[in-house]
Amino acid sequence: MRIGIVCPYSWDIPGGVSAHVADLAETLIRMGHFVGVLAPAEFDELLPAYVVSTGKPRAVKYNGSVARLSFGPIAARKVSKWIEEGEFDVLHVHEPLAPSLSVLACWAAKGPIVATWHSSMDKSRMMLTLSKLAQTAMEKISARIAVSEAARTTLIKHVGGDAVVIPNGVDIASFSSAKPMFGWPGENQSIVFLGRGDEPRKGLAVLVAAYPEIRRRHPKVRMLIAGPGKPEDTLKSLSREDRESVTVLGMVAAQDKASVLASGTVYVAPNTGGESFGIVLLEAMASGTPVVASDLEAFQRVLNDGKGGITFENENSDDLAQVVSDLLANPTRCAELSAQGKLRAAEFDWAVVAKRIVDVYESIRVQGVKVEPDLTGQMIGRLGRGRISPEARIEP
Amino acid sequence: MSNQWIAFIASAAFVIWYLSYQAGRLDRLHHRIEVTELALLAQLVRRGGIVAELAAVPGIDPALSVLWGQAAHDVLALRDLSAPHRTQLENELTNTLAMTLDEPEEVNEIRGIQYASSLLDELIQVSDRVRLSQQFHTDAVRDCLEIREQFLVRFFRLAGRAKAPRPLDLDVQVPPSLSN
Repeated sequence: MRIGIVCPYSWDIPGGVSAHVADLAETLIRMGHFVGVLAPAEFDELLPAYVVSTGKPRAVKYNGSVARLSFGPIAARKVSKWIEEGEFDVLHVHEPLAPSLSVLACWAAKGPIVATWHSSMDKSRMMLTLSKLAQTAMEKISARIAVSEAARTTLIKHVGGDAVVIPNGVDIASFSSAKPMFGWPGENQSIVFLGRGDEPRKGLAVLVAAYPEIRRRHPKVRMLIAGPGKPEDTLKSLSREDRESVTVLGMVAAQDKASVLASGTVYVAPNTGGESFGIVLLEAMASGTPVVASDLEAFQRVLNDGKGGITFENENSDDLAQVVSDLLANPTRCAELSAQGKLRAAEFDWAVVAKRIVDVYESIRVQGVKVEPDLTGQMIGRLGRGRISPEARIEP
Repeated sequence: MSNQWIAFIASAAFVIWYLSYQAGRLDRLHHRIEVTELALLAQLVRRGGIVAELAAVPGIDPALSVLWGQAAHDVLALRDLSAPHRTQLENELTNTLAMTLDEPEEVNEIRGIQYASSLLDELIQVSDRVRLSQQFHTDAVRDCLEIREQFLVRFFRLAGRAKAPRPLDLDVQVPPSLSN
C-alpha cells in the first residue's frame, strides 16, 4: 500500500506527535508498505529518506504550549505538490485541527483520508478552531482514530461522530535494551524528568518544589532533567546545594532518550494537564524504570490504575515528595513496579498497534482509487469533473 | 438608491456564495460516501470469499461445508452494496458463523485441519475490517443527511439526482470463540 502521512508539528524537535509519526512510518515500512511523510523541518539534510519538508516551522502559541507549525501559501503549495506526486492509496493526517499542514492536506486532497486525534482540548478552544474552513476539511475525513479515550470523548462531544481508539505505540525493543548513561544512577539514587523545561503544563515546577523535601529524606539523591527549553528559571528556587545535585542535559536525540530514562531510579511525570495519553510513561516503563506520575485521567489509564506505576495528586508537591521518598526507600517495590511496567508496556508495542492502524486503512481503501488533489474549490471547478472511474468498481 | 442596490447585490452574492458552498460540501460528502461504500463492499466480498474457501477446505465435514458454502454464495451473488437483501443475507452469514463456531473445542479441532487455521485468522481480520468500514460509512452517511435535510438545500435541490444515502445495519461480530 502507498501511504502518505502528514505531521503538523516540527520534525526537528522530538515531541509526542512527531515521534508517533516517525515510529508509525518506520513500522509500516518494515511491514512492506511504501510510506511518505510530510512535516515542517528546518534541517533538510538530517531527515530520513521518507520525509519531505515544508520548510522551517514557525513557533506559535497553541493549545497551551508553544507549537512549531507550518502554514501560509508556500506551505499550502508544497502540500498540494506532495499529494499530487505521492499517488497515495491512503492519506493519514495527524491532529487535523492544529492550524498546520494537516488541515492544509485535508483541503488539498480527496479520496481515502484517515485522521488521528492526539490531544484533548477544552470546548472554547475547540469551537474557535471549528470554523467553517476547518469543517470543510473535517468532512473529507473518512476514518477517525483517537489515541485515547480522552481524545475520543473530546471528539464526540465537540465535532460529532465517533472514532476508533487505537493507542500510541512504543518501540519496546529499543527501550528494553537501553543502557543507563555512564555513572547513572550509580550508587546513589536518581530522579529523571523528561520534557520541555520551560513549559508550565509539563509540570517541572511541581517536581522542583518537591525536590528539597525528597533531598531531606534521601540526601544523596540526584536529578536529571532532559528536554528542550531552558529550565534555569524554575531551578532558581533551589538552594545551592540542591541545585548542584541537578544535571541539566538539554535536548536529547531520539536515540538517547532510552538511556536517559534508564538512568533513573524513578521517572517522574508531573504534567499538570492537556495530556491525553502520555507516551513517555510507556517508554519509561519499557526501559524498566518505575514511574511516578500525576493522577491525570490519561496517565491513570496508561498505568493501568496503579498496576504499572504510582500516581500522586496533580500539582501537589507535598504529595509528590511523599510518594517519591517512600518509593526510593523501598527497593522491593521498585523492582516490582519495574517488572509490572514492562508487562504493561508490551501491550503497546508498535508492531501490534500498526496492524490495527492498517486495518483502518484497509477498511476505507478501494483498489484503484488514489488520493488525488482537490483543486475544485467551489461551483465552477466542480463542473465537468468526473466521479470515480468505472474500472475502480469491484465486481463481486 | 445606490446604497439599496449595493445592499441588494451584496446579499444576492452572499446567497449565491452560500449555495455554492453548501453544494461543495454535499459534493465532497457524496464522494466520501462513494469511497467508503466501495471499501465496505470490498471487505464484505472478501469475507464472503474467505467463508466460501473455508467451506471448500478438504477435511471440513460436509454439513459445515454446505452451511458455510450456501451462506457465502448467497452473499457473493449480490451485485452491489444496496442490493435488496444485502443486510439480511450478510447477517445470516454472521449468524451461521456464530452458530457453527460456538464451541472452543470444535474450533480448535477445525484449526488442526490444513489451511483452515490461516483462513480462520483471515476471517477474524476481515470481520474487524468490515466493522470499521461500516462505522466509517455510517459516519459519512450521517454527515451527508444532516446537510441534505436543510431547507435551502432541499429548496434549491442542491443534491441533484444523487440518491439519499442510507446506513447499513450490519451485524458482523466475530464469533466469540474465535476472537481469543
